[in-house]
Amino acid sequence: MQTLVLAVTLALMILLAFVFYRVVRATNADRQLGDTNSRRSQLIWVMLAVGLLVTVASLREWPHALASGDAAIQVNATGGQWYWEIDRSELPAGKPIVFNLHTEDVNHGFGVVDSEGRLLFQTQAMPGYVNQVEYVFDTPGDYRVLCMEFCGVGHHDMLDEFTVVAN
Amino acid sequence: MSEAEIKPHAGAVKFTMLLSGLVFVLMMALGLIMRAAQGEFIELDPALFYQILTAHGAGMVGVAGLSGAAIMWYFVGRYVQLSAAMYWAFLGLFLLGVVLILSAIFLGEFGGAWTFLFPLPAIAGGAWEPWAAATFILGYVSIGVGFLLYYLAIGYPVIKRYGGLARALGWHVVFAGADPADGPPPTIIAAAAVTVFNTLGTVVGAAVLVASLVHLLVPGFAVDALLAKNAIYFFGHVFINASIYMAVIAVYEIVPEYTGRPWKSSRPFIIAWSAILLFVMAVYPHHLQQDVVMPGWILVMGQVVSYLNGVPLLAVTAFSLGVYLHGSKARWDLGLSLLVLGVGGWSIGAIPAIIDGMLVVNKVMHNTQWVPGHFHIYLLLGEVAMSFGFMAWLVRKGQASEAGMSTLDKATFGTYLVGAAGFTMVFLISGALSVPRRWAVHLPGWILQDRIGTLFAALVVLSTLALVLKYAVGLGRGQRS
Ligand code: HEM
Ligand SMILES: [Cu+2]
Ligand SMILES: [Cu+2]
Repeated sequence: MQTLVLAVTLALMILLAFVFYRVVRATNADRQLGDTNSRRSQLIWVMLAVGLLVTVASLREWPHALASGDAAIQVNATGGQWYWEIDRSELPAGKPIVFNLHTEDVNHGFGVVDSEGRLLFQTQAMPGYVNQVEYVFDTPGDYRVLCMEFCGVGHHDMLDEFTVVAN
Repeated sequence: MSEAEIKPHAGAVKFTMLLSGLVFVLMMALGLIMRAAQGEFIELDPALFYQILTAHGAGMVGVAGLSGAAIMWYFVGRYVQLSAAMYWAFLGLFLLGVVLILSAIFLGEFGGAWTFLFPLPAIAGGAWEPWAAATFILGYVSIGVGFLLYYLAIGYPVIKRYGGLARALGWHVVFAGADPADGPPPTIIAAAAVTVFNTLGTVVGAAVLVASLVHLLVPGFAVDALLAKNAIYFFGHVFINASIYMAVIAVYEIVPEYTGRPWKSSRPFIIAWSAILLFVMAVYPHHLQQDVVMPGWILVMGQVVSYLNGVPLLAVTAFSLGVYLHGSKARWDLGLSLLVLGVGGWSIGAIPAIIDGMLVVNKVMHNTQWVPGHFHIYLLLGEVAMSFGFMAWLVRKGQASEAGMSTLDKATFGTYLVGAAGFTMVFLISGALSVPRRWAVHLPGWILQDRIGTLFAALVVLSTLALVLKYAVGLGRGQRS
């Protein structure tokens, strides 16, 4: 996911940088521009059309859906200054798992990374609320929890681990 | 009073820009220290890192606001008579706020970050005392009151002179079919829109500041954490964006001196600014996309408006700049280069921001270094570039039409561009590699990126120092002649 996002972003940024480069070069152009108003309208319509497509495609499946209902395994995780408390240290692969996020004090962020350090998902832990996030781990192995919301001087020490086992 | 007597407060604005330039360099040095600490070039106690993070965040956002405000004050002053006393009151309150904030951080060891996310100021885990948090908050309140005065001082005469807020926004042209030539100038339309949204932003900010303050004094006083979060990000997003929307006025007013083509209040321009007025306020939920207890439609709005926000920026501001420049034979100097860079960096920086605004992406990019990656692009290569462009123009020699760029100018500009592009690019890559933001201590696998980022950052600090020196020298020369 991240690699794709980076590639698309860089491609678009380079494209736009190139357009600006052309604009700067064109300061000395002799040729007149054509009908700029209709070109502007075209640009707006293209942007709106692309936006509509991307919006629909990216939201058709609700990214925060708790799809499996009661079938999911429930895990409670609590953040506090500066530790995590997770009520299970071993989780099964291939099964939907719902993490219920609580906090003892301030806002924290519950981010899970795989053994290569790639962030898989995250959600906030917030006073007075329980945030729920669902995930299915495909591969057994060790996973790490990082704090993804600034919570004071021990923020970077809020690391924890759990294991995903084949079942 | 006759039109001829209306003149910008050049002295006050030049002084403010000198102050801003110095603070930019100082805060950049703090940024360099943080980056070097992440890269383990130097060792920094984590508590001190977070104090520096707080100072850098609050200081940069504050000075971006200040420099933007000075630019807007200067150019609005071409059209309406503004009150110098109000400006000095604004600056005084701003500086009082700075003193309070610096005391809170470096005497009181407050390290709760510029976003003072409730209830962190009151629950520090022993790192700072409530008085330090209260002092920090009072510093913000002082700056907030200063800005409210500032917008009053701009809004009132603008509304009076242009016959109401709706007319100052140019709505009679769009809705009542008036001739665009009868509309207000671009500067006034922009000023009217920013005045509305940043006044609202500041008021919401003040409300959550007061709530946080009461919570500090009376811990039993309950504030809903989700509501506070909404209010803080509404304020934060609106305020930092206002700084860019104020600074872009320099582009509207200065670029025509080079191209010989006045920036016009066309229909697209007026509609764009009304859209901006709406979007800037409606977009803030993109900061809350991992708060899944938020109503879904608000998160969708955050994603959709993040994208829509890019339309007026690209199709109106950037597009018009291209059209005005095309074939204009404008002569490039440091001022024009930096102003055009400002629009370019702002537009390009919007791309990673918009992409991070998508819920599916945000799940894996939120609060990674992707975020400082994108906002440093449209701040360093956007707001800051425009501010230094304005400063270079203030101290230019002769007419814009006979300007030119010395070798030193070219080297400074090039170093700044390469440094800022490299520095921000490394943040984006680190974000894609899941490095979290706001971590004082980095894991071993992240150090190499941090080191490369540090080297680019040093280039930015150096070239910015050169820009400030050039401005200071230019001011001195202006005083003598
Ligand atoms: C040489 C130039 C600069 C350097 C080296 C620098 C460095 C940094 C670093 C290392 C961080 C923390 C990154 C992290 O979260 O891990 C940061 C955050 C930030 N910077 Fe900069 N920065 C620079 C310029 C600027 C400018 C010009 C602005 C605004 C006008 C700015 C605004 C901010 C803000 C708002 C934050 C967020 C603070 C927070 O997370 O609480 N920076 N910067
Ligand atoms: Cu944390
Ligand atoms: Cu935002």
